[in-house]
Amino acid sequence: MAQGATQGREPGTPRLSLQGVTKRFTRPGGEQSVALNNISLACEDRTFVAIVGPSGCGKTTLLRVANGLIRPEEGQVRLGGKAPRPGPEAGFVFQSFRLIPWLTVRRNIEFALEELPLSAAERKERALHYLDLVGLARVEGSYPAQLSGGMRQRVALARALAVEPMILLMDEPFASLDAQTRELMQMELMAIWQRNRALVLFVTHSVDEALVLADRVVLMGGGQVLDDIEVPLPRPRFGEEVRASAAFLELRAYLWGRIRDLVLSDPASDFYGRDPAAAQKEASA
Amino acid sequence: MDSRALSERTWLVALARVGFVGLLLLLWWIASLSVSRNLIPAPSETWAAAQRLFAEGRLQSALLESLTIYGSGYGLAILVAIPLGLLMGAVRLLGRVLDIFVYALSATPRVAFIPLIIVLLGLGFEAKTFIVFLGAVMPIIINTYAGVLQADEELVEMARSTGAGRFRIFARIVLPGAMPYVIVGLRLGATIGLINTVVAELYTAVAGLGGLLSIYGNTFRMAEYFVVVLTLAAIGVVVTELLRLVESRLARWKKDL
Repeated sequence: MAQGATQGREPGTPRLSLQGVTKRFTRPGGEQSVALNNISLACEDRTFVAIVGPSGCGKTTLLRVANGLIRPEEGQVRLGGKAPRPGPEAGFVFQSFRLIPWLTVRRNIEFALEELPLSAAERKERALHYLDLVGLARVEGSYPAQLSGGMRQRVALARALAVEPMILLMDEPFASLDAQTRELMQMELMAIWQRNRALVLFVTHSVDEALVLADRVVLMGGGQVLDDIEVPLPRPRFGEEVRASAAFLELRAYLWGRIRDLVLSDPASDFYGRDPAAAQKEASA
Repeated sequence: MDSRALSERTWLVALARVGFVGLLLLLWWIASLSVSRNLIPAPSETWAAAQRLFAEGRLQSALLESLTIYGSGYGLAILVAIPLGLLMGAVRLLGRVLDIFVYALSATPRVAFIPLIIVLLGLGFEAKTFIVFLGAVMPIIINTYAGVLQADEELVEMARSTGAGRFRIFARIVLPGAMPYVIVGLRLGATIGLINTVVAELYTAVAGLGGLLSIYGNTFRMAEYFVVVLTLAAIGVVVTELLRLVESRLARWKKDL
């Protein structure tokens, strides 16, 4: 997955860098909204970066800017020293899986490999290898409709890994899974990542998920980076001893508090100007 | 649902359909007894008429004539409509310019064009084929166009993220995604095409199954008339069932295990 780790860039420069990046969208009513507001961020190789923040803070846009799906109006994006172009340099995992329903599991993965200089036989071999990695080689001939949600997302993960990208972009990948499947997927992702480290940008709504997985948690709000925290917890973090530790709880409480304040102070939010906690206190007083 | 329960149900449906045909025959027979004999022939008389027409070879030659017109008009419609619908969907500007005209033309009763077609193309094969073509082409264009416009934006973005270019996205994501719509269009086109085959045979040079309808209808030979009607119904059933078969072959991936 860390293929070409040094190609095309000076030693010491970060794998991914954003400098003064601004991206605006025009809403259907003609009103302008800013998804990314003069944002700067640098990410090193072999790092798991989680991005958290309230809905509409620009997290998803950040991922799309990082692989060139969206071009910003201002600023500079560099992936491996070059302006990013959509392609096998980045593997993308989406919340809604996005498997092609009329292709079998194996052909779904082969589809993503078609931009690489591989023969059909090599594509097949590589697809099977990565299916095996996520434990799904036995369903290679099934169609996505025949799989459970967790299996579909493992196929999507295998598809992103199979291009052996320099960066893995994950957009709330486990948000539509049930709690148990979600935790198992987190463990699976960690096991794969620790064997084969690449730079991961992982967008999530869940502070817990960010703290369990990431080396670094980036808090976004209003299209800007508001905080950037190194997570000092020992790995693995799935056991209760880590999750119940003072350091974990302190970070969790801090991030929760920041996100809550952002939601309550955002005029576009449904909860603007309301404080459910204060209202509850008042009611019980 | 497991496959055994499914196949049991398929058998049940087949059996119930046979039963329904029996019920229709019974109702037909009762109707033939209660209504004046000259208007509704009994099933047995109709069967005798069918054998007679078949022995004379009239049914076969009319059937061949009608199927040639139907096949040519419908085939031409497919060849024109699918590429045009795809093009209208792929090139948004072209689609937006043309779609209003396609909708307008498809809302106009095509029978209105028959006098003009006769003037331009005469009463023979060309005119008849064109009338069938004109009926079948619109639903295929409209549905193909709609299928392309309904392309799954999320899948398109996924394909784009893998580096796929516009052509590969169209061929591998948009086109297969549009197939269910195309099939619906083909089914509607097949039905309208068959109707227009008969209309063409009634309004231009009287020939084929439509011609037999008009001859037997005008001379009150109701048993023969019913044979022709049933033959037309059979063509409709065969064509739509064939398209259903194609559809289920294409949609194998939709089925659960």
